[in-house]
Amino acid sequence: MMKKQTIQQEHVFEQQLINISLCVNGQEQTIEVEATKRLVDILREDLQLTGTKISCEIGRCGACSVMMDKKLVNACLIRAYQVNGKEIMTIEALSQNGLHPIQNAFLEEGGFQCGYCTPGMVMAVKALLDEHPAPDEEQILQALSGNLCRCTGYSGIIRSILKMK
Amino acid sequence: MGNYTSSILKTSRIRPDGIEKVTGKLSYLTDLQIQGMLYGKVLRSQYPHAKILNISVEKAEQLPGVKAVITSKDVPGLNGFGLIFPDQPVFCDSVVRYVGDAIAAVAAITPEIAEKALHLIEVDYEPLPVIDDPEKALDPSSIPLHPNGNLLHQASYVNGNVHESFPHCDVVVEETYQLPRQMHAYMETEGGLFIPEEDGLSVYAGTQHGYKDRFQLSRILDLPETEIRVVSSPMGGSFGGKDELNIQPYGALLALKTGCPVKIHQSRRESVCAGIKKHPMKITVKTGATKEGKLLAHQVRILADTGAYATLGPAVLDFAVEHAVGPYVIPNVETHGFCLFTNNGVAGEFRGFGGNQITFALEGQIDRLADQLGICPLEMRKRNLRKPTDCGPVGQEIAPTNGDELVLKEIAHSPLLKTEKAHKQDSWKKVGTGVALTMHGGGLGFGRLDPAGGKIALNQDGKIQIMFGFEEVGQGLLAVIETLTTKAIGCSTADLEIVIGDTDKAPHSGSSTASRGTSMVWHSLERLKGPFIEKLVTQASAISDYPKEQLVLGENGVWLCENSEEKLVVTYKQLAEEKTVSVETQFDFPTTPNAIPGGHFLYSFAAVAVKVEVNLVTGHVKVIDIDQAVAAGPVVNPIGYLGQIEGGTIMALGYTLLEEAQMEEGRYVTNNFDSYLIPGIQDIPASMHVRAIEDLWEGDSYGPRGVGEIGTIALAPAIARAIYEATGHWVTKLPVSRDEILQSRERI
Ligand code: FES
Ligand code: FES
Repeated sequence: MMKKQTIQQEHVFEQQLINISLCVNGQEQTIEVEATKRLVDILREDLQLTGTKISCEIGRCGACSVMMDKKLVNACLIRAYQVNGKEIMTIEALSQNGLHPIQNAFLEEGGFQCGYCTPGMVMAVKALLDEHPAPDEEQILQALSGNLCRCTGYSGIIRSILKMK
Repeated sequence: MGNYTSSILKTSRIRPDGIEKVTGKLSYLTDLQIQGMLYGKVLRSQYPHAKILNISVEKAEQLPGVKAVITSKDVPGLNGFGLIFPDQPVFCDSVVRYVGDAIAAVAAITPEIAEKALHLIEVDYEPLPVIDDPEKALDPSSIPLHPNGNLLHQASYVNGNVHESFPHCDVVVEETYQLPRQMHAYMETEGGLFIPEEDGLSVYAGTQHGYKDRFQLSRILDLPETEIRVVSSPMGGSFGGKDELNIQPYGALLALKTGCPVKIHQSRRESVCAGIKKHPMKITVKTGATKEGKLLAHQVRILADTGAYATLGPAVLDFAVEHAVGPYVIPNVETHGFCLFTNNGVAGEFRGFGGNQITFALEGQIDRLADQLGICPLEMRKRNLRKPTDCGPVGQEIAPTNGDELVLKEIAHSPLLKTEKAHKQDSWKKVGTGVALTMHGGGLGFGRLDPAGGKIALNQDGKIQIMFGFEEVGQGLLAVIETLTTKAIGCSTADLEIVIGDTDKAPHSGSSTASRGTSMVWHSLERLKGPFIEKLVTQASAISDYPKEQLVLGENGVWLCENSEEKLVVTYKQLAEEKTVSVETQFDFPTTPNAIPGGHFLYSFAAVAVKVEVNLVTGHVKVIDIDQAVAAGPVVNPIGYLGQIEGGTIMALGYTLLEEAQMEEGRYVTNNFDSYLIPGIQDIPASMHVRAIEDLWEGDSYGPRGVGEIGTIALAPAIARAIYEATGHWVTKLPVSRDEILQSRERI
């Protein structure tokens, strides 16, 4: 039996370009992008901010975690039209004035190995500490439940957070 | 919570790549972008097994923005790759054997156009019967997937006579263990940048052995190796999964064809579909012992599903066969292993290298026998342990070691084994504890090319450059190199420049695999330090007129050490202005002298104690405490060592309780982290403790062993034993199924 197969084609729409303005790490940016371009791609490709990583692209790993209007979001799930007028903070902002205490704690307690989950993880810890400066166990587990790390087994990450308490 | 301690966690120096990692400034190779680069994408097979009748690429080529569409016709050299045999086609043109098989690749000006072009490539297939089980593959009536049939490799070890000794055993246990297809799940998927150069090609793509990639690419591209530069570091994790070529052939071919830089970065779905996994194994074991608990006979049959291509399948099987008796002395052993081709993905190198599977079976047998004999599991192990100067598990000469005895003794003191468990529990939650032991070989073993080496130089800028062909995959190799070099030479970290993972700049060091990196850096420095120091002090002596016997290397330069006087005599910079210096070494990883394919010489050991809580209503198994003792020689970098053990342990927890890359009829059912579950922060135990035993056997001159794998092996059998204690049910299949736990309750 012969099967003539081409991959099922989704309709590829001609992408509509839009102008968006957003504030990234304190800098106003106006860019022309496709309306549905993902924030993670805008950051990594248009703005060369490759500190934000990409791994699952479906909101399950947190490698792309950034803050949008002070709330932690997965940049792989946010589209260009949703960021217009928003304030975005990425890992690059955290060390603008020297290392952030979270970063120091990660360095001292082995909060990372390959480092690929680290930018997202550090942003998630920041979101946690912004809300709960002295988090309890439940708050730590809750806050980091969306961030996967394959290297550390999380213990070094927890040591880092406890160190800052 | 957060009781994560260790006997070794003193302060470590911050790792050299640390600041760049925590600030997000480190450029991984998949972060690289360059002006005018194209985006590459690979068309993978629609079928797990099919004939290809026709491939037509015209429509794809005509799509505006597409710069090249390539197929097997565009491979100038060998259309194949593979670390042992190059049996995996770069591009298939007549038959596909798994869903990750590549048929064509596209380069276009945007990733969207490249993706669209893939949809325009037409492939006519004739589906063939799918072999989705190694038992089926063994069946002589099954269609052969390769010219030599479906048996990729067979390995055996026989000593004594098991058949004659079983009747003399007071108790015999027989069981079949089933181990799952685990995914490496490195956070950074495969990818990189490929740049055509005037004199060849530069490849920036993660791998665990840059020189090997260069060799394989040179065969494919028909380019001399000297015209290919492979930059292979840093990486966002690998765990064995990036040792084999992945996207490199496609990026390289597209870059050379278009004359433009090409970037490829696989999506997670593509990575799952094309990437290698851990070997699923079915291990049937019959083991007998006397009523005193002496093991007499051990018969093992291993069936490994290697998937569509060889890659390191034969070596993984050899490893499993070698480790079938672990650290125990069993007078009668018969192990037969079979590694079979199927249409199920490709299995290859994975942290643990066959050790996880075989140790689950071995330790499971010991626990069952101990239980039937009414002997304490620790005591049972002790009674059968090898002596320090005994030979290795396949009768080969090994470096004498009592690591097994030490870790077992240490774990016997674990407080978690002493806790009262009977009362104060909810009736639907049962607690149990378990212990397991493992012995794990380092290096590639006898008969495998396993060269290592390194280079040290004083360069023109007065920097001491230490160079290795190794890669930083996350394991902390840079910190190891920094620590060992400053210690061996005497210079400071500021004087040092570490060069790794670049075939144009670093020498051959062999692969960053098999727990060999740390060990090989140490061995290299043992060889490099004498001649290098000698050259520098001789030069310094000539400049300064101090006798060279009074000169040592220190911070910033060569120092005079005379009585209590210490002063800087000449800086490295001044020395370099006179003359640069370099010393290189090449040697082989130590192996056993006995001609046993893959036979190891250096081993490390771990013993694990675990406490679990089984919820009888949901079937959920929660690990609440893990304690482990590791014997792998001196600790080089405490944080790195601890991180390897802790991280490896949690990866093993996933293997035991959560992870399986499921396939149905040769197709992946689990395609991403929504269905393939790796441990999250909620899955880890509230307490973990690691003790490092640094002592080596007297006269052992082999230094620190690597610890990349040793933390991943013994947890699974320890959990299985703990579940038995909690529920009375022996688990034989991983990952542990909640349904199975629930059903086992119903039967009781
Ligand atoms: S890449 Fe966004 S959550 Fe995984
Ligand atoms: S450090 Fe590698 S994934 Fe977290």
